[in-house]
Amino acid sequence: MIAPPFDDALLGRLSEASGVSGGEDAVRRILIDDVRDHVDTLEIDALGSLVARISPAAPRSPRSKGSRRSRRGPHVLLCAHMDEVGLMVFAIEKDGRLRVRRVGGIDQRILVGQVFRVGASGLRGVLGALPPHLVSRPEREKVISIEDMYLDIGASTREEAERHVAVGDYACFDTAYEKWGSTRKGKAFDDRVGCTVLASLVKKRPPVPVTAVWSVQEEVGLRGAGAAARRANADVAIVLEGTASGEAPGASPGESAPLMGGGPALTVQDRTLMADARLVDLLERTGKERKIPTQWKRPGVGGTDAGRISLSGAGIPSAVVSVACRYIHAPAAYLDVRDPQRVTALVWHTLESLRKEWT
Amino acid sequence: MSTLESNVDALLPELLAAFGPSGRESGVRRALRKALRGLGTLSEDATGNLRLHRPGRGPRLLLATPMDAAGVIVTRVDASGLGRVTLLGTRAPVELVGSTVVFEDGRKALLGYDRGPGSKNGADLEADQLFLETGLGKKGEREFPVGSVGAIEDRPARLGEFWCGANIEGRAGCAAVVAALRAARSSRYDLHVVFAAQSGLGARGATTGAFGIDPELAVVVDVAHIEGRETAGIAVGKGPCLGLKESGYVAHPEALALLKRAASAARVKTQWLIREHEGTDARAIRAARIGVPTALVAIPARRSGAAFSLAHARDITQTAALVAKLLAGVPAKGGSR
Repeated sequence: MIAPPFDDALLGRLSEASGVSGGEDAVRRILIDDVRDHVDTLEIDALGSLVARISPAAPRSPRSKGSRRSRRGPHVLLCAHMDEVGLMVFAIEKDGRLRVRRVGGIDQRILVGQVFRVGASGLRGVLGALPPHLVSRPEREKVISIEDMYLDIGASTREEAERHVAVGDYACFDTAYEKWGSTRKGKAFDDRVGCTVLASLVKKRPPVPVTAVWSVQEEVGLRGAGAAARRANADVAIVLEGTASGEAPGASPGESAPLMGGGPALTVQDRTLMADARLVDLLERTGKERKIPTQWKRPGVGGTDAGRISLSGAGIPSAVVSVACRYIHAPAAYLDVRDPQRVTALVWHTLESLRKEWT
Repeated sequence: MSTLESNVDALLPELLAAFGPSGRESGVRRALRKALRGLGTLSEDATGNLRLHRPGRGPRLLLATPMDAAGVIVTRVDASGLGRVTLLGTRAPVELVGSTVVFEDGRKALLGYDRGPGSKNGADLEADQLFLETGLGKKGEREFPVGSVGAIEDRPARLGEFWCGANIEGRAGCAAVVAALRAARSSRYDLHVVFAAQSGLGARGATTGAFGIDPELAVVVDVAHIEGRETAGIAVGKGPCLGLKESGYVAHPEALALLKRAASAARVKTQWLIREHEGTDARAIRAARIGVPTALVAIPARRSGAAFSLAHARDITQTAALVAKLLAGVPAKGGSR
């Protein structure tokens, strides 16, 4: 079968939606609208993850029960996380400025001066700090801590601010999705690109029984995926991710892998997972057979939902396939749209291989 | 005792030398399958655990011991044939300098390190300062692709009363458990043994293994390195240690009492293990599902400062004797029935 196309327009809508860990509602709504007509069941689990089940189309000719079973292939869990890193309002000052804390891993060096969208209304605010001429020379050389920053929505009193914002509101980067040739620019490609690949796959009925999980709270400790995996009780899991690419001036060639535009990045090992050797081998082999270039994600760094999924229940053989993006966990990331197209194709064809040969 | 001793002496060198870095335990699984022939039904699970089942009418007992060892993963190899690695397991990088790394197909390479300016002779060595000398020049990159998993080559040796090897931590427990299974062929438990994979990565095999078996009682057999003030009271050669407390674990009173009775019935002198900062698979197993009464017996070992550690042969044999007595059945509470 021909692999489904990657839904570029959906990536745009998902990238611009706000979905900081624990506040994934807007992302979930877009995904529900997108996939509801293509799946057998769709539900939101207790932690907020969106879970769909899709069985392959019934074979045309009636067969004996045994042979049909063997042709159905293993039950595959496909997972991508909906949440992104961002900020949370934890106090409102008398002068109307908002004190914020980070949700998930954001480098403090990139924060000052960034525009954020706050709360459900999407009100804009600037993350401010003391200007340089009011800061002592040694202090100027240091990275400003989030505790010394404030989110400025233009309010001048607490009462005015409280009309628009409440403690506990999330703030996400305010970044438009743009296309330049095959390059895409936007926020939260980690992991809206995985969410989009997953939606693209389920919209064309996959060749094996699939439980699709768009998980919550990955960035704050892989929380949603473990619970969803435990319920799904699948035979195999593939996690779809956006990961950091390494190329930059000054980076040595060996340190820069994986590269944006270099094809699906396969994980051997990271801080949370030893990828299942058979599954990694199958992904690599399928890439070779289908002439889809693959590359290796640098071992030893990072961690994904696959870590939690692989240890759920009595254990699930798991692997990760990633799109290498520049500047993840920052206001604007880049990716090469051919990469998620290739990830979609690679995973699709790997599902076909799983149906044929996984025991 | 002499059968146990000869069993351990015959098993241990082969187990120590078997290939089995965390997550790629194929070689040690193979060696264990051979050693376990005829002792029960063998199976493997998704995490790579090797499981043995010996049905019995008593309660479901999980006997668990880790089987993985320290390893490296190649992160890149450049045109000079030198590679970089990331470590599998919690070994200090400095301990691995000078070790030979062996890959599953038998290829070898050497671990060295960059002695940067101002370096304190390796004491502050980070894993990213280690390098892999493939000896292959330009061909190195093709021969050792990113993601290749290697193990620290072990050349086990018997030094007087001590067993000495790089993989003592993961394999001494295996030898004791296999010897105990051979000694106690009849069991009063529905016995499930898990030779746990990926223990060095955070008790991953024990986590999924315990969930799969859903035991009513668990005993973990492991190795405890004796170092620092915490464990200063423990002596290598003075008998197996019964675990009272370690990171994330306190002994279950009834499970511990059972081990104590097994020790006294086997006439094995024991020591107490109490430590804050290190832990074994016991932590994961006692927290499996709704919780499992879990006890721990650990073989004390000394680090050499390099890749190998030292364990006393008698401690291993006595651990086997204790476990064998436990499996055969110990007198119930009160002792003299």
